[in-house]
Amino acid sequence: MTDAIQKPEKKKSSLLQLDARTRTRNAAETRFKAYGMIAIAFGLLMLSILVFNIVTRGAGAYQQTFVALEVELLAGKLDKKGNRDLDDIKKVSTFGYTPLLSNALEAKVIELGIETDLKAKKMVGILSKSAAAQVRDYVLNNPNKIGETIGFEFLASSRVDGYLKGRVNRDSIGNDKNISPAQLDLVDALKAEGSLAKRFNMSFITGSDASDARPEAAGMGTSMIGSFFMMLVVLVLALPIGVAASIYLEEFAPKNWITDIIEVNISNLAAVPSIVFGILGLAVFINYMHLPNSAPLVGGLVLTLMTLPTIIISTRASLKAVPPSIRDAALGVGASKMQSVFHHVLPLAAPGILTGTIIGLAQALGETAPLLLIGMVGFIASNPPDSIATGLLSPNSAMPAQIYEWAKRADPAFYERAWGGIIILLVFLVTMNTIAVILRRRFERRW
Amino acid sequence: MNDKNIMESHMGTTAIKISARDVQVYYGDNHAIKDVSIDIEDKTVTAFIGPSGCGKSTFLRCLNRMNDTIDICKVTGSIRIDDEDIYDRRVDPVQLRAKVGMVFQKPNPFPKSIYDNVAYGPRIHGLAQNKADLDEIVERALRRGAIWNEVKDRLQSPGTGLSGGQQQRLCIARAVATEPEVLLMDEPCSALDPIATAQVEELIDELRQSFSVVIVTHSMQQAARVSQKTAFFHLGNMVEYGETGQIFTTPQDPRTESYITGRIG
Amino acid sequence: MSTTSLLVIAILILATLGYFLASKRAISTAGGDRRKLHSLPVYYGSNAAMFTAIPALGVLLIWLLAQPMLVERNILSTIPDKLIPEGSSIGLVMSDVRRVADGLEVVVNTGTLSQNETLKLDTEQTDIRALLAGVGAAVGSDVQPEVLEAAQNYRAQTKMGQLWMVLIIVPLALIGFALSVLAAKPTFRARNTVERGILALLVLAASLAILTTIGIVFSMLFESINFFKLHPWTDFFFGGSWAPNFRGDSDLSILPLLWGTIYISIIALIVAVPVGLFAAIYLSEYASPRVRAFAKPLLEILAGIPTIVYGLFALLTVGPALVRVFGRGEEGLLGLEWMSGATAVLTAGLVMGIMLIPFVSSLSDDIINAVPQSLRDGSLGLGATPSETIRQVVLPAALPGIVGAVLLAASRAIGETMIVVLGAGAIAKFSANPLEAMTTITTRIVSQLTGDTDFASPETLVAFALGLTLFVLTLGLNVIALYIVRKYREQYD
Repeated sequence: MTDAIQKPEKKKSSLLQLDARTRTRNAAETRFKAYGMIAIAFGLLMLSILVFNIVTRGAGAYQQTFVALEVELLAGKLDKKGNRDLDDIKKVSTFGYTPLLSNALEAKVIELGIETDLKAKKMVGILSKSAAAQVRDYVLNNPNKIGETIGFEFLASSRVDGYLKGRVNRDSIGNDKNISPAQLDLVDALKAEGSLAKRFNMSFITGSDASDARPEAAGMGTSMIGSFFMMLVVLVLALPIGVAASIYLEEFAPKNWITDIIEVNISNLAAVPSIVFGILGLAVFINYMHLPNSAPLVGGLVLTLMTLPTIIISTRASLKAVPPSIRDAALGVGASKMQSVFHHVLPLAAPGILTGTIIGLAQALGETAPLLLIGMVGFIASNPPDSIATGLLSPNSAMPAQIYEWAKRADPAFYERAWGGIIILLVFLVTMNTIAVILRRRFERRW
Repeated sequence: MNDKNIMESHMGTTAIKISARDVQVYYGDNHAIKDVSIDIEDKTVTAFIGPSGCGKSTFLRCLNRMNDTIDICKVTGSIRIDDEDIYDRRVDPVQLRAKVGMVFQKPNPFPKSIYDNVAYGPRIHGLAQNKADLDEIVERALRRGAIWNEVKDRLQSPGTGLSGGQQQRLCIARAVATEPEVLLMDEPCSALDPIATAQVEELIDELRQSFSVVIVTHSMQQAARVSQKTAFFHLGNMVEYGETGQIFTTPQDPRTESYITGRIG
Repeated sequence: MSTTSLLVIAILILATLGYFLASKRAISTAGGDRRKLHSLPVYYGSNAAMFTAIPALGVLLIWLLAQPMLVERNILSTIPDKLIPEGSSIGLVMSDVRRVADGLEVVVNTGTLSQNETLKLDTEQTDIRALLAGVGAAVGSDVQPEVLEAAQNYRAQTKMGQLWMVLIIVPLALIGFALSVLAAKPTFRARNTVERGILALLVLAASLAILTTIGIVFSMLFESINFFKLHPWTDFFFGGSWAPNFRGDSDLSILPLLWGTIYISIIALIVAVPVGLFAAIYLSEYASPRVRAFAKPLLEILAGIPTIVYGLFALLTVGPALVRVFGRGEEGLLGLEWMSGATAVLTAGLVMGIMLIPFVSSLSDDIINAVPQSLRDGSLGLGATPSETIRQVVLPAALPGIVGAVLLAASRAIGETMIVVLGAGAIAKFSANPLEAMTTITTRIVSQLTGDTDFASPETLVAFALGLTLFVLTLGLNVIALYIVRKYREQYD
């Protein structure tokens, strides 16, 4: 039967010669493979552009221009009654300190023999607007120093700082009323004499946000504390609740439609846009429960709800990875189901749970959108909180919200700080993820 | 020494299709095949038997270079088909596999229709001029796979919907459709029930008229039923090779004897 | 210290006491022989602590959630209509009432006035606003007598509520305490009870997921209903323009926003799907283990970067780069003047595409790996090249899963906020030009709900309707995608 329908013997071909068809097919193969490589290369290229951008643009925020000046704390201006009464000294506003600064600058210019047409009042423009406040704070803390001459290091204004960093140049300041070419001449001269220099700026890491006019004084510190308190809330709530929910679903839940609904629900919650959680937070925690606006507690609650699905999914995976033989062994010696889970399964799954929790926390740390809705932006938190309660309840920002705030201010000096803030944020994220990877490597068990 | 002459003098009329010399296969540090030399005849069913892990499947996969898909696998020695070294740098494994078809342990129909399963090979190798041509190739292959009568009314239904035995015959038909010269079968019946096995064995016997068939099998009874020649593998060595009847009745090597009598394996 | 925290501390002390008493009692009733007990003494103690604390704390929590709602409803009915100024709403008046009431509490706590003095306050004689400002509670305008009255009412009812709360919860805790300590006898199966209690807590934790979903739906549904009372739903769903105007009479249609959202998402998918898919194919089918070990984690870094970083990248890097190519007239690279600002559909779409690459690639990678090796072997054994195998066998087999992955990516793109807030612009319009700024649903939610919001105006409430639409949209995509992926996995399990 088979012979009847067999085709005549086909022409023998040698394996050693490629026929034309194989050649075209191989060309298609090479092309296809190339697409794959191009795709990977594209992804990696974008990653490197992004990282390069962050590092080159953000590094500037860690350097700031400072001006060293000796300021004579004139008793006649600061303490007119001469009785060193703190209440009287407090009555002198920062505005009253400005003449001291211009005097000091003028003295410096004369001392160094710098030629400039600028009036002393204009010279002060190269200093940050926070300089006067800095002197005032010093005087209020040390009223006995009034009358002496004290050496200060002032922040230079953001334009001067930008000039030293190459962001601002003489062509770009044409219509800028905050800085003039003559002031830049003064800056050049001061720089040549060593009174004005760029150096590492710790206060970017530790300081608070500053108003629109003082980008040079803005820092990440306070928002870092805000983020810290939010993460505290997330950790304290999401970890136990997430683990409890996972234990129930993985170990105890009967197979029925209720369990099914919960499971489908959790996987869907994991994919709900974060901004929707923000709306939930606004409606429930702020409008309904009247928790304070902008408080890290509210931010933490919202992020908890958002992180829960992530933690539940990873915890269930690590519980599932514990082999049933362990449970059987515990049940076999007469432990209750609950005891077998809490004494044996949970400890074995702990590294996996911890890894998942850290990854969930890292995700929450970088989340911005829900924070916008509960008011954690547009607010300048100036003082670090003094207790856990104020830390949780008093208005604050968070790292990503602070970065967003700076990005919105449309000033290149703030952009630099936004990129700089991203570096801090990414350092935290990289650290957390590295810890998670190390934990996984270290404790991963193959059953 | 000229192997070919010796073989021809031994085997008389039957031509040698595949001739392997000193084949070594390494999986990373593991030496899986040691010094195997064998001549496989055309239009013959050759069975590879031996205990699990003896290297028979590995060796089979060398014959159409399926081992290339495993990164850590390294093959040395020479394997020649029609006197052409298939590990020659100029050989394209794609062209080789068109010539040396393969049927696997587990039926693996593609998640496509029965028709598309069989037409897949002819399509990629450009064997059909037009649709009618392709229809004819598909029908012929399905007939040779002894499954035509069962599926001719539902060529467009998915191949995955067939029973295990039907799936395996479909896979054989799929392999036959590309008009190979050698057909390699890696334990083709291990996933099938006895009735399906009998059908496939019958089919193998028919296929012998057109191809050289090499079959790896666990079952000695199967080897005895379908093959003319049998090779016994043990721990990566080919211990004995000869006429099937002779291997099963008067094995030369004590290891073969203990395997056949059930003492090892 | 507030009544609530005192109550919580009292309950906890009682629970601790119960723990020790019950375990002691269990041992002593067993005549000091622990082996006669059904359970370990720990369980008798835990049982007592559980019965003392959990019902009391549970009722406390529900009370705290429900009381403000009930009190407010009572007060609302007493506020006369004339108190509501033109263009304002009862909600604003209510928040004034609340502020005055809270302020007066602070006045008492700081000792400025005594409890009785505050009750006798009168708008005629005292400047309430100044009084409140003195303790740091700011009230928007001068306090009207009706508002003061309502505030006093509010305080009285809150006080009454708290009293009842204490009167109910303290006995509840005591009863639980007494019963559970008395029950601590050798025959009592303490472990089983405790374990049932723990199980109940576990169930509670698991149902929090459902509660969250209900919270999301209801919080948005109520405000959306309020919105549709103030604004015609036909305009929202079928109108043609988006022009919020805080003096009223706004055009609030979702369609232009939906168009912007979909347009940007499509561009993002055009970038992410081919790149992600080919990257996944290369990594799973071609790459050597070394390349895979190096490229896969690097690509996945892209997924771990917070979206705010992508937003900044769009606004400050990609946008200006695109302007340099497509804009600036003579100074530009192409001499074109098609693009005026950094924010544009293309900017946001491209950056979102980059963000989604690892998302698509790791999902597709999983799905491609789920295709059984035997299918690849079958195809390669017939003499197909690897690319033929992938295109004609692996991809068709993986297609449902990949469709699911793309849908999940689409739902991510639609719900993404920070990239579009910073990179897409704020102009709502129907335009096919990818170089123009457009706006999306998420951007408008942010802009309507930040800054000064008035929860009685349609301009604010529309955000909830937008949020609800967004939720339904993404939920729909997710449900379909997860269903497809699940079915796909079952096929090869």
